[in-house]
Amino acid sequence: MIRPRIRFHFRWVHLAALLVALFVAAPLYWMAVSSLKPMEEVGATPPTAWPESLTFENYRQAFANNNFGRYLLNSALVSLLATALVLSLSAFAGYALARLPLRGKSPIMIALLMISLFPTIALAAPLFLLMREIGWLNSYQGLILVYTALNIPFAIWILRNFFLQIPKEMEEVAWVDGASPVRTVLGVILPQALPGMFTAAIFTFTACWTEFLIGLTLNTADSYRTMPVGVALFGSTFTVPYGTIFAAATVSVLPIALLVLVFRRAVVSGLTSGAVKG
Amino acid sequence: MSGATARTEPRRATAQESDGRSSLDRKFARLGWGFATPALLVVLAITLFPIAFSVAMSLSHVTVSADGFQLSGTTGEHYELLLRSDRWRHALVFTVLYTIGTVVAELVLGTLIALVLEQLSGGRGWMMALLLLPWAMITVVSAQLWAYMYNGVYGVLTALTEALTGTPFQFLGTPTPAVLSMAAADVWKTTPFVAIIVLAGLMMLPSDVVEAARVDGANAWTAFWKVRLPLLRPALVIAVLFRILQAFGIFDLPFVLTGGGPGDATESLALLGWQVMFTNLDFGPGAAVAASTAALVLVGCLIFLRAFKARVGDEETQA
Repeated sequence: MIRPRIRFHFRWVHLAALLVALFVAAPLYWMAVSSLKPMEEVGATPPTAWPESLTFENYRQAFANNNFGRYLLNSALVSLLATALVLSLSAFAGYALARLPLRGKSPIMIALLMISLFPTIALAAPLFLLMREIGWLNSYQGLILVYTALNIPFAIWILRNFFLQIPKEMEEVAWVDGASPVRTVLGVILPQALPGMFTAAIFTFTACWTEFLIGLTLNTADSYRTMPVGVALFGSTFTVPYGTIFAAATVSVLPIALLVLVFRRAVVSGLTSGAVKG
Repeated sequence: MSGATARTEPRRATAQESDGRSSLDRKFARLGWGFATPALLVVLAITLFPIAFSVAMSLSHVTVSADGFQLSGTTGEHYELLLRSDRWRHALVFTVLYTIGTVVAELVLGTLIALVLEQLSGGRGWMMALLLLPWAMITVVSAQLWAYMYNGVYGVLTALTEALTGTPFQFLGTPTPAVLSMAAADVWKTTPFVAIIVLAGLMMLPSDVVEAARVDGANAWTAFWKVRLPLLRPALVIAVLFRILQAFGIFDLPFVLTGGGPGDATESLALLGWQVMFTNLDFGPGAAVAASTAALVLVGCLIFLRAFKARVGDEETQA
């Protein structure tokens, strides 16, 4: 009586999981496959499911004849430096907000959450004017500073949740031993919160890597464009060279795909601790 | 006030000397501010200050010239302009409806996907990794991808509809299909995020509660609606809050996929604000669009705050 029901259940779930996987993967497959087609075939009707003639011409176009290599480098540079800054600032702030007796913690945490969710359009014009005033339009430091500020709030949220879970005894021993506050955080607290640092790093990096509105507002000069800006502004109004775009896009997805595959536990736990518990 | 302070300082309870406590407290509080200030200052300078400036700009006469930018006087004319503008009203209605539609679709689909993945005995890790890909993908890239698939001449989805119905369907050519097509692209990219949050919530539920319900004769369906969904509610509330606020600021997808068109069918508040500011260089009205969008987000936040505040309190008493 029970056994056939379980078996039926099993097949249904597998079919459903297969459908989900197809729904998610099909567009990704289409992007990768289109990047391997010659230009005429990218615009062929009806489209071909697999390239009739496989070519890496699009990749040559994107990276040798166009600036996508530069855009990727810009994105990597801005995202990595912003992530490093966010982590070093948020670790201390997150620790203070988790463990030290500050007044008004709750309002600060709620204000930070609201800021992290604020639509960036409200910041575009004033930041543009500010950066123009100090000559930081089309620069790395301008974008890095803005991305750092935009991602600190959520990083504090994630890190604080991890700090709250660390047993207090360890740091109390360190305090009693007379270790300096900075050393206590760096040497005792952070090693225990490494998964949290990891999660915050992945979130911050992904957010910087994908950010578009501020990048478009501040860095439009070709040599300072990040990947999203480069992809959005590539081509003319009349023709969009999809093959070239998808070649660059496939390359831009790879590091993220690798990151997500290797660190999927950290990402998932970050989504839960940052969003669910938050 | 003193009650609130006591609640946020549980670690002091371990201090032995009662007279040494307050000075130690003050020392730790100073240390805390020393730790927190750099981060908070950066946030203040780059987010709160510009927001305030945006509001000031939306209420002033703005003159932009080659050598500078000036605010003068106070005026409500930019907001009057908004209230009289059909384009703004349309963007507002579109953004609100679009937000509701996509978030509901993502919530239902995401919960279904999470329930499927929860039942999966093997390969769940791979499925999660796959689900994370659209989430981590550059939105602009996914917008180009969907624009290509929706293309009226050589798009693969257009070709599919032609194969199925005999006539190629124009996804982005007319307003209603364009809105739905954009929503579908959005759902593809963001449902995985909701699914993973719900799945994580499902996996954290105490399994004995569900088992008890099953023993009491509840079938899977009843157990889900009556037992697990109520327990999941806090996780869902936060996921929904995140998604609502993100969807409300939508910019990347219409910028690339439709350019706000056809006509202004898919023009969101953020896209309208950006175009008014950076295409037309009308900073005053543009700031009014941006500030009113931010104000609406704030209202949305405050509506959710009640459910949320309770959780922050909970957490701190546990700490």
